[in-house]
Amino acid sequence: MSGPLTAVLAAFEAGAASLAEVASRTGLSPDVVSASVEHLVRLGRLESRELAMGCPSSGCGGCASATLEGTPGCGATGPDPGRRGLALVALTLRRRG
Amino acid sequence: MRELTVSPKLPSVGAACHGAIDEAGRPGSPIIALAGAPNVGKSTLFNNLTGLRATTGNWPGTTVDVARGAWRFKPGDKVCDCAACDGDCRAGNVREFTLIDLPGAFSLDPLSPDEQLTRTLLLDAPEAELPDAVVVAVDAGHLARSLYLVCQLRETSHRVVVALTMTDVARKAGVEVDSYALAEALGCPVVVLDPRRRVGMDNLTRTVREAVPRPRPTPREYPRKAADDLAREDERFAWIEAAVDAGTTRSGEERLSTSDRVDRWATHPVAGPLLFLAVMWGVFQVTTAVAAPLQDWLDGLFSGPVSDIVGAGLAALGLGGSWVEGLLVDGLVAGVGMLLTFVPLMALMFVLLALLEDSGYMARAAVVTDRLMRTIGLPGKAFLPLVVGFGCNVPAIAATRILGDARQRILVALLVPFTSCTARLTVYVMLGTIFFGRFAGTAVFLMYLASIVAVIGVGLLLRKTLWRTMGSEPLVLDLPPYQVPTARLTAAVAWNRLEGFLRTASGIIVVTVCAVWLLQAIPAKPGAGFNEVPVQDSAYGVAAQAVAPVFAPAGFGQWQTASALVVGFVAKEAVISSWAQTYAVDEPLEGESAGSFGEAVTASFVASSGGHPLPAVAAFLWFLMAYTPCVATLAAQRREVGWRWTLFGVAIGLAVAWLGAVGIFQLGRLFW
Repeated sequence: MSGPLTAVLAAFEAGAASLAEVASRTGLSPDVVSASVEHLVRLGRLESRELAMGCPSSGCGGCASATLEGTPGCGATGPDPGRRGLALVALTLRRRG
Repeated sequence: MRELTVSPKLPSVGAACHGAIDEAGRPGSPIIALAGAPNVGKSTLFNNLTGLRATTGNWPGTTVDVARGAWRFKPGDKVCDCAACDGDCRAGNVREFTLIDLPGAFSLDPLSPDEQLTRTLLLDAPEAELPDAVVVAVDAGHLARSLYLVCQLRETSHRVVVALTMTDVARKAGVEVDSYALAEALGCPVVVLDPRRRVGMDNLTRTVREAVPRPRPTPREYPRKAADDLAREDERFAWIEAAVDAGTTRSGEERLSTSDRVDRWATHPVAGPLLFLAVMWGVFQVTTAVAAPLQDWLDGLFSGPVSDIVGAGLAALGLGGSWVEGLLVDGLVAGVGMLLTFVPLMALMFVLLALLEDSGYMARAAVVTDRLMRTIGLPGKAFLPLVVGFGCNVPAIAATRILGDARQRILVALLVPFTSCTARLTVYVMLGTIFFGRFAGTAVFLMYLASIVAVIGVGLLLRKTLWRTMGSEPLVLDLPPYQVPTARLTAAVAWNRLEGFLRTASGIIVVTVCAVWLLQAIPAKPGAGFNEVPVQDSAYGVAAQAVAPVFAPAGFGQWQTASALVVGFVAKEAVISSWAQTYAVDEPLEGESAGSFGEAVTASFVASSGGHPLPAVAAFLWFLMAYTPCVATLAAQRREVGWRWTLFGVAIGLAVAWLGAVGIFQLGRLFW
């Protein structure tokens, strides 16, 4: 059967660029899309990675995406709750061999 | 709070609690487990129910904290339905439950020690030691996310009671929860409560007291032998979706937050890119317009009083006219001073970009860029290192590691040098101010646009020739909501970037200024001694004159201009300083007066372009944007993709830069 998770993965494959677009394409509520994505990440079907918009020359400690401890925020698996700035998270489909 | 004293032999909720200390519940009282995902108000609910009569400590054999306490209430009300009951059954006559606050868990399929313990206590324990009921705290604002745990518990024989929190947050988002309909869909009681205001606590107590004496429910049917994990999970999510649909109503437009409404335009396929371009144009326009007077003032300060003071000081020390004066005044003061004139401009631009980032807008720009990349057939993820490249190319090359496919990594590592880093910005601004006046901001903006065009053009060229079969990796961005930027964060980010730029640039400039001074002091023709030779006859001047004819078809074949580009191969931060250094020591020809740096540069472009300076400047800027950014980028490329591809990248960069510059000049001279 085709459920919300399959529908969300299909929207990924079809080129949706944001979660709002996934919700629009699948007809699922944003809440269900968000929960589905989170679960697909848990299942290892999607990869979640926090992004920074640019690296300051002073290193990770000087970045809004860094954690309060100064460790890198970009490239972390999902937003760190202790981060300083906004989190932009990239979700990518993980191919299964 | 006292430490929990539990026998390490006790492996389950029931066993752990019977016989424990009084704060943690009377021996023999029914055991209620409180479960739920993190941050749904579970701890507040626990504290309210136990009235802080709780103890906390590591669960035996684990490092996971578990709190438990006595959930007391007034006995007497007949709460169960059994025929023989006279208010004296197990639930009717008890005066308290023992409440166990289980570690936060999204799921019973554990990914963390917390979730493992929750699973052990709820699923793996012997049936006799299972809790009498499980209260699951569910966040109404993120209903689907919270219901996964409920879904899994409904597949067991646990008596489940849903404690629905955060209904006020859901209401603000335009979502109304019908607790009766939700209970019907879930097949278990749902109690709406607000632990922070102690609303609904009595109702929860009554509901749990009613649930405890009832027989254990029949587990929900689900396809245990599904084809694969995904099929099984899909069934669960279909159940969750059906429950969410049945238990909530959404008020149409009201559910759209301000962020959603703005995003309709900010991420629109057509309006989004136009808005992005307009915003970036505004950033450069404001930056150049506001910073220009300060830049002029600083320029005057360093070329005037500062140089004079240093010169006078050296004269007082008997070093006037010596090589020391040449190095300090014409080299370091001219070079470093030129860099410092850009401080107000860079500071303002970094503040504006930090404001855009902190507000959440730059994340939308990422969506726009990502969509553009995919439209032209480049991997979506490629936008990440490319966006980083607009700050600095070196970390951008390292960021290509996020690309899974080796060919994608090579392609993007070859494209990164075309992204216009902040070091190149200084040259754009300087030439923009000299040649385009109040349109300098627009000129800078157009250079960034040209950079994007170069990335797309070269990317397409390589995709159509070398890598025709490159696969794509779907990518979705989870956008954060917009927020009012905070002064503290904006200032911190801007300062960090400015400090980093100055630290890097000043180091490079001091080294290159010394190297350029040395080369300008070494005579390449006979007849003059060290540091006495006219710069055009120095090793520096002669080498630059040998290279300069290459740029003649592009309109900037003067040796001074060519020399700046050669130095720029080392680092773009050093272009202006070495240029300033060259003109500072370059004596005016007979009959000419020594003008400002701007006048000297203008005269150079007018002379080399045959009277068409504007297309020559445009061609020069294109060349500067497209050729090798710096040796540090080459080192990063070699590390990531090897020498062969690095040299190929240098060749591509020089070819695109030269051909583009010649095309721009030859075409431009027909109109300007």
